[in-house]
Amino acid sequence: MLAQLLGSAADGIVVAAILAVAAMGFTLQFSLTNVLNLSFGSVMTIGAFTAYLVNVAGLSPWLGLALGTVAGALATVLLGRGVLRLYARRRTQLFEMMMVTLGMSLVIDYGIQAISQNAIYGYTVLQGSPIRMGPIAVTPIQVGIIGIALVLLVAVEAALHLTKLGKALRATAVEPSLARSCGIKTSRVVLVTWLVSGGLCGLAGVVYIISTQSVDYTTGELFLPLIIAAAILGGVGSLRGAVVASLVMGLVTEIVAGFGGAAYSTVAGFAILVVVLLLHPGAVFGGAEDRQLVL
Amino acid sequence: MEGGSDVGAWSFYITTLLVYFVVDALSAFSLNLQFGYAGVVNFGFIVFQAAGAYVAAVVTLGPSGGQASFQQYILGSHLPFPLELLAATLAGAVLSLVVGLFALRRMRRDYQAAVLLIVSLIALQVVSADVPLFNGSNGLTGVTWPFGQLFGATATGSPFLYLGYAAIIGLLVCLGVIWLSRSPWGRSLRAMRDHEDAASAMGLNITSLRLQVFVLGGAIAGLSGGLLVEYIGAWSPGAWGYAETFVIFTAIFVGGVGNYRGVLVGTLLVPIIFLEIPRFLPAVGYPGLTDSLEWVVVGLAWMLCLLFRPRGIIPERRLKASLHGSPREPAPAEGSA
Repeated sequence: MLAQLLGSAADGIVVAAILAVAAMGFTLQFSLTNVLNLSFGSVMTIGAFTAYLVNVAGLSPWLGLALGTVAGALATVLLGRGVLRLYARRRTQLFEMMMVTLGMSLVIDYGIQAISQNAIYGYTVLQGSPIRMGPIAVTPIQVGIIGIALVLLVAVEAALHLTKLGKALRATAVEPSLARSCGIKTSRVVLVTWLVSGGLCGLAGVVYIISTQSVDYTTGELFLPLIIAAAILGGVGSLRGAVVASLVMGLVTEIVAGFGGAAYSTVAGFAILVVVLLLHPGAVFGGAEDRQLVL
Repeated sequence: MEGGSDVGAWSFYITTLLVYFVVDALSAFSLNLQFGYAGVVNFGFIVFQAAGAYVAAVVTLGPSGGQASFQQYILGSHLPFPLELLAATLAGAVLSLVVGLFALRRMRRDYQAAVLLIVSLIALQVVSADVPLFNGSNGLTGVTWPFGQLFGATATGSPFLYLGYAAIIGLLVCLGVIWLSRSPWGRSLRAMRDHEDAASAMGLNITSLRLQVFVLGGAIAGLSGGLLVEYIGAWSPGAWGYAETFVIFTAIFVGGVGNYRGVLVGTLLVPIIFLEIPRFLPAVGYPGLTDSLEWVVVGLAWMLCLLFRPRGIIPERRLKASLHGSPREPAPAEGSA
């Protein structure tokens, strides 16, 4: 019982690390542009498939990790700069923007389905034999994933608070028009945000398939509910909040799965958001109806 | 009807398309009531149709482990007509009540839509993974139709009859939806959509109104699912991916948001004609490639509609109400070109 709990908790921390990487990217992008980007899952799949292709080409899996990150960043910039700008020029509102990102998600998902011939591909790299500590068994790469997530949290937090660009980003997120009139090039800030959050997204896609050991066109879509839930639960724009929420969700989903509810693990994770929503609607979804689109 | 002659095959094909048309029209009317009239963006619409289909299937398949022991499910029983359709309708309504109670709380509209999309994604995962519920990802087969003893075992054996049966139900429900949208209730839905705060100040209970339209739409979705499954005889997670909702949404956009005539045209164009044309084209690539490409085109069509015609190709006609010759209120801002 306790052994099972500890084992599941260890798995949960690994899931939380993957979730945290994705949720940090999501929350960064969302807090700045205010677009609820539903194509985030699809970009994750792009990152994952890039890593898979690098592996097929016989190159180092670490290069796959790097190129997956780059692919995610490029795809996000392309979507943000190329597609969403087009709509912004036509004064599309925030809400319609979300519908546009959903359309992009359909196109990317089923485009990948067409290219990948709707098959599931194995991705067994970097696995290594598990390290055992009593009931807990983790593989070196799982420890690596947790390390990556922690390093990224510290790095992005530091960049946000210590660099000039980070300050500009926070200023733009709070009050874009004021930031603009203070001489901040908001458009460049947004570009950097697309790059960083897309990179985090692509990276999350790669570490996700390293953990699940397979990839197909639904990879990102299956993970999207937890990402959005974690980002919203953590408070939009708060990296630390996203990480804490990811930790809670990772633990809950894996413990539920460990005790025989594998089919309901995502439900359990999402249920946390619902419960918080029911108990404190204001705490999570407070106001912010008048948010501006920033692109 | 199952004769080898070309005429038989063609009439069967056309009839089948018409049955699909009835089901899709029901879905589109229901979604248009929710989205076009009330502004409730139900990105999880297909889940409620799926619930109706599953329930209609299990209440006619008989007890699990009986004659169809290769599949397992809950609620197995033999309900006579029309109880199975009522059960399907009820399933859609109850599920949408449960979902609506947390998804429709006062929050940003994009959060609301995202929550409903998430419900759709998660429901699919759960039903696929939890095999004892509805036989997991293999789904249920062998569903019969209510007039089996009179006209043969399956609906596909007498497609004309089934078409008539579905068309009558569809017509009645669609007329009901049109009547409702023109009623005072429908006008309050529009008021809520266009200006929630003002509608609230006029004494409308926004939360309750939104829940009402959500549950009503869910009930119609459940009914459409029941009608569909009795015809095709099988239902599995492959039939209700999150993308299916967007076919209906695209149909509404193509036709005209809030405009039932337009919605009907859109339903004919998108889920029927557009999705069926590729069957007549020479097959390209591996099997299934055309299906994937169709979805890509649906996504592109959806994006193009949002870019050029956010209110639909035939937009909703403005309500003309004037008091003592005062000028009509200005049109709501439209993003269209």
